[in-house]
Amino acid sequence: MKPAVRIQLEDFSVDEEVSAIKTSSMRMGGIATFLGCARDFSEGREVSEISFEAYGSMALSELNRLRTDAVEQFGLLDARLVHRIGTVKGGDNIVLIVAGAEHRAPALEACRWMIDELKQRVPIWKKEITPQGESWVTSHP
Amino acid sequence: MIKVLFFGPVASRIGIHQATVAFRSGIRIQDVRDELAAQYPRAFEIVCFAAANGEHVRDMSLPLADDSEVAFMAKFSGG
Repeated sequence: MKPAVRIQLEDFSVDEEVSAIKTSSMRMGGIATFLGCARDFSEGREVSEISFEAYGSMALSELNRLRTDAVEQFGLLDARLVHRIGTVKGGDNIVLIVAGAEHRAPALEACRWMIDELKQRVPIWKKEITPQGESWVTSHP
Repeated sequence: MIKVLFFGPVASRIGIHQATVAFRSGIRIQDVRDELAAQYPRAFEIVCFAAANGEHVRDMSLPLADDSEVAFMAKFSGG
């Protein structure tokens, strides 16, 4: 089975990650997912591609810490986080977070918490490439 | 030597991803920042976070050991 926390160039499969988390416990009654995708339009302009750069070793260690914190804070049975780097196009997958718990509420809450924390804590940067040029994204609503 | 890493928007403004600063006894991460900010003022306008050896640094008076790896980073935008 692939590691639960990964940073990778290639695409990922949501089905594979959900299947993987299901194998970790038969007590799991709720699995929540957050899938972040590339938009082809941002701040009033067309976006051709999005490029991601990471401080790889630190980003991976922060994602692992985030998973541990979420498991502890929300009582999850398991969690998986996958983030892509490199260049993606509109509609492509960027990030997947999967949270599994005995019941739906902690799974849903943990999923929301992890994507919000990821944006604050994990050293990854996004550059939007548009027909007019390219620019690094500094805000993250 | 202290290895300094730049990523994303900071690296774009500086034009390089890596620099070195000579180690001296008692050097703090703030000293490294001051030295580089004087060289690359436009890049350091957007620096919000610092890391030493892959860990977030909040206390800029942190003393550095020789061969430390330091990063000065802009606000993150992953996800």
